[in-house]
Parts: sequence; structure tokens; C-alpha cells
Amino acid sequence: MSKKYTKGTFLIQSIVTVIVIFYLLPFLVVFLYAFKSPQEIIGSSPFSLPEKLELVNFTQAFEALNFFQSFGNTFFITASAVLLLILLSGMAAYSIVRGGNTFFNGTYMFFIAGIMIPYQVIFVPMFVLGSNLGFINNLFGVIFLYVGTSLPFAIFVMAGFMKTIPKEIEEAAFIDGCSIMRTFWIIVLPMLKPVAAALTIILSLQIWNDYLLPQLFLSDNSMKTLTVMQSTLFSAFETNFNVGFAGIILSSLPILILFLFMQKHFVKGITMGSGK
Amino acid sequence: MRLEGKNTQPMSITISSKPTSIVHKKKRVNARDIQYFLLLLPPLVFFIVAMIIPLIMGIYNSFTDWDGISLEKNWIGFTNYIEISKDEMFIQSFKFTGLFMIFNTIIQNIAAFFFAVMLDSSIKAKNFYRTIIFAPVLLSPILVGQIWTKMYGTILPSINDIFGLSINFNFFSSPDTVLTGLLVANNWQWIGYWMLIYLAGLQAVPKDIYEACTVDGGNWWQKFFHITIPMLGPSITICTIGIATGSLKVYELIVASTGGGPGDSSKSTIMHIYDTAFMSQQSSYASAMSVVFLLVLLIFAFIQLKVLRKREVEL
Repeated sequence: MSKKYTKGTFLIQSIVTVIVIFYLLPFLVVFLYAFKSPQEIIGSSPFSLPEKLELVNFTQAFEALNFFQSFGNTFFITASAVLLLILLSGMAAYSIVRGGNTFFNGTYMFFIAGIMIPYQVIFVPMFVLGSNLGFINNLFGVIFLYVGTSLPFAIFVMAGFMKTIPKEIEEAAFIDGCSIMRTFWIIVLPMLKPVAAALTIILSLQIWNDYLLPQLFLSDNSMKTLTVMQSTLFSAFETNFNVGFAGIILSSLPILILFLFMQKHFVKGITMGSGK
Repeated sequence: MRLEGKNTQPMSITISSKPTSIVHKKKRVNARDIQYFLLLLPPLVFFIVAMIIPLIMGIYNSFTDWDGISLEKNWIGFTNYIEISKDEMFIQSFKFTGLFMIFNTIIQNIAAFFFAVMLDSSIKAKNFYRTIIFAPVLLSPILVGQIWTKMYGTILPSINDIFGLSINFNFFSSPDTVLTGLLVANNWQWIGYWMLIYLAGLQAVPKDIYEACTVDGGNWWQKFFHITIPMLGPSITICTIGIATGSLKVYELIVASTGGGPGDSSKSTIMHIYDTAFMSQQSSYASAMSVVFLLVLLIFAFIQLKVLRKREVEL
């Protein structure tokens, strides 16, 4: 809390450094093992550098994950669901905040109550309904369910942001004869960029890393997502788990890149999400 | 990773009574409402189909004897619910999940809070440290489960060899230590996330309060207990509810690490519901368990909210 670098600060610095080293340990091990040969894993210390880079681990993991296919599926599901979520939550938040009567307020409460119900608790009837609607082995079905279940959170964040937008510009548009729909599309939607960026990261992380829904609905091999494929990788390569570790790197790389690109929006998004 | 409990803020929407009254004469109020409603309709459809209908179906099914496949479905009243109270596996999984939640809530809250305080001080390379502690959040719990299985099974035991120790690191191999093992893995993943919320909360505390305290002769500890902790009330509420409800739905981590074992000692409630519905094909019974579980979750979140809101201070 003080600005000077005192003895106390040095003590804290040392403590944090030790903690961070422990935090890094698993990452370090994953990274080192992913480049080692099976013989080297048995023979050497886990923290020694690989003798030569075994890129064969990555090609094996690549094949075992059916990478292009499962990456494509995961990407398609995540990107479509997040895009739809941002659009739909924007629409809902706009009519809730600007609509301004008891009906719209009531709808807001209805949506927000949904935050308290995690989909993991109602997945059994969701599966029953989903199979009746033809959602089995159907990427669009899974997208639909992600959108529906994440909407409450997205609307909560969107509505919070919408309230901070001054409505003078919209009113000017109304005077110029713009309809509400048109105003939403050409004026309000572009103004949602900051909150959309933050939501993109939070929702992408959730959907990209999810396991239960794709596991339930996508049993066809050509439909499987990265997390589902990854879950089988370690049992397939029980003995030379360097391939498994290479798979970990492969399947987390895309979300890592997204995060690095949009990092600065993330904190903003989390803070908004926490209702500050 | 959903931040449950966000509906804790007062839901005051500030709307002037007639926002567009200049343009829209009384006659056109209806047309205006219809346009807003048309915007609201698609999101409503998604939400109702994906969540509300399954919720109602689940509650209805829990009173039947449906297996999930056959055409026959009979109303059996509370039989499933009576069955649950005698189901030892449910009780055991519930106990395990409860313990997992309690320990997570305590450990993650305290650790995240202290990490935030430490990383908000004037130490060097703050951003680097923050990034490292946050990094595991980006991994899928499936990957975290796999990483820690290998950590306990192979990598940590080799530290024994290096230093000539004989610590038993294989936490997943015994029912007595499996909870500890899962807690370490889960905390490693999530502390960074809650740390960020505490950091955001810390940054919102006005600096002049601290200065006023310094002028009055307050030391670091007094500032910590009389300013920092009370001012972080809202963050504590969010983190506690978020961690608790998040821990209750633990599934992926366990699937990828212990598979519920050894024995059934680390089976979580969600996992038990999954197995009941899809392995033993007792769809309605699984639905009844979901209803019980959801009620527990809601009651729990509600109590936490009441208790935690009471001790928050307003600026």
C-alpha cells in the first residue's frame, strides 16, 4: 500500500516468487515432456531439458486428436455460439433497458433467475428434449443449447453496459424517422463493442473448454470436439504420455492465442460480470 | 466458470417514464412496444427452449418412473424422492461434493484474497506474476485433470528420488487422500480467476481513505482490517457464491483424473446423476436427484447472499 520498496515489499516479493515457481511447475513439466522421447522420460529427471526436440509427439497427438476435424468443430461451435450470444443478448438488453415497462422489467428478472441454474444440473431433461428436437450429432443443436443456457449471464452483463450508454443519439435517430429496429442495428450495436469484446473472451473460454454437452450430444467421431478427443488421448497413450502432453499443448493453444489478443478486455469483462 | 449470483445487485433500471414521447404520440406507444418485443422474442425462445422447458420437464419427470427410452411413463408421486433418501451412493457423492465445496470456498477465497493484496502492493514484475497465476484458468478442466494425474503419478514421486525423500505424492490412489489431490488441482486452476475479481475490487477502493488512516496514525494491519476487508465486501460475496456454486458442479476434472475412484470415493453428485441417467438408465430418478440438487444449490446461494450482503458496507 506504500509506494516505497521497503523490507516488507522484499518479503512479499520473495513469497510471491516462490508461489509463482510452484504455479509454473506443471506448465514446465508439460512443456518439457511434450518434446521428450519415451526413453528419455524414463531415463531422465522431469526437469531436465530434452536432448533433442521430439516433434513426432506432436504429429502423433495431431493424428490421435483428429486435430483438423475436432478443431474445426470446436471452433465452429464456439464462434457461432458466441456471435449469436452477443447479438441476442444485445437485442434483449436493448429492449429491456429502453423498453421500460413492467413487462420488460419482468422479462429481465426471468432471464436473470436463469443465472442461478447451471445447465449441468438440468442436463438430463435437456438431453431428452434435445434428442426429440434432433440435436443428437447436430452441431447446430449444441450451439442452440449453449446460446440458451449462457444468455442469462450475457444479458446481465449487456444490460449493465446498456444502462451507461446515453440515449440522446438514439433519440436523435428517432426524430430523423429511424425505427427502433433500425436504430438498434445501425446505432446501438456498434456501440456495444467494448462489452462484446469482454463477453467474447469469457464465453469462448467456457464453451471451448466445455465437456459435458459435446460428450452427451456429439457421439459421431466426425462431430467430436477437442476436449472430448483430448479426454481419450491419455488412455490411448498410457505409457508414452509425452504424446498426451503434446496434445494438451495443441488443444489449449487456440484459446491461449485468443486470450493474448484480447487480454486487456478480459479484466474489464470480469469486473463488469461481477456487477461493479 | 459462470459467475453465478450476479443477480445480487439491486435491479434498478433507470428509465424515464416516457423516453421517446416527443416522437411517439400516444397512439404509437403500442407500435413501439411491439418493436421492442420483436427484438426480445428470439433471445426468449432460445432461453425458454434450452432452460425453462428442460427445467419443467425435469421436475415433471422426477414424479414418474420413466427410464428415458420406453414409451411408458407412469406418475408415481414422491417415490423417487423417498428413494433418494435411502440411496447411499447419492448421499456419499453429496457428502464428497459438499466437502469439496466447503474446502474450495475457504481455500480459494483466502488464497485469492491474499494473492490480490500481495500483487496490488509495490512489488516488481506484478503483471508477470498475475499472468502466471491466472494462466491455468485458460485450460479445460479435462486438461487440468490429466496434468495432475501425471504430476501425482510420475513427476512428483521423481522429486523423491532427486532429494532422497519418501513422501507419498500419489494422492489419487487412496480414498483418504483423493480429496486433497483434487483440491490442489482445482485450486491451482481457479485461484487466479478469483484473484482478478479481488484485484478489481481493490482498485476500486479510494486511496484517500488509506491516507486519512495514515494521518490518524493507523498502521498496515489496522488499514487491512478496518478498510481493505470491509471495502471488499461485494467482491467477497461474488467470490464466495461463485466458488461455491462452481465447486458443486465439478465433473470434468474428476472424469479426467480419478474417474470417481478409487472405489466410488471421489464421485461427485453431477457424476452420479450422469451415471444414473445414462449408465443405469433411470432417467426419472436422475431427474429427481437433479431437482434435489438444484434446490440445495438455490437455498445455499440464497443463504450466502443474505448473510454476506448484510455485512457489506456502502461507500
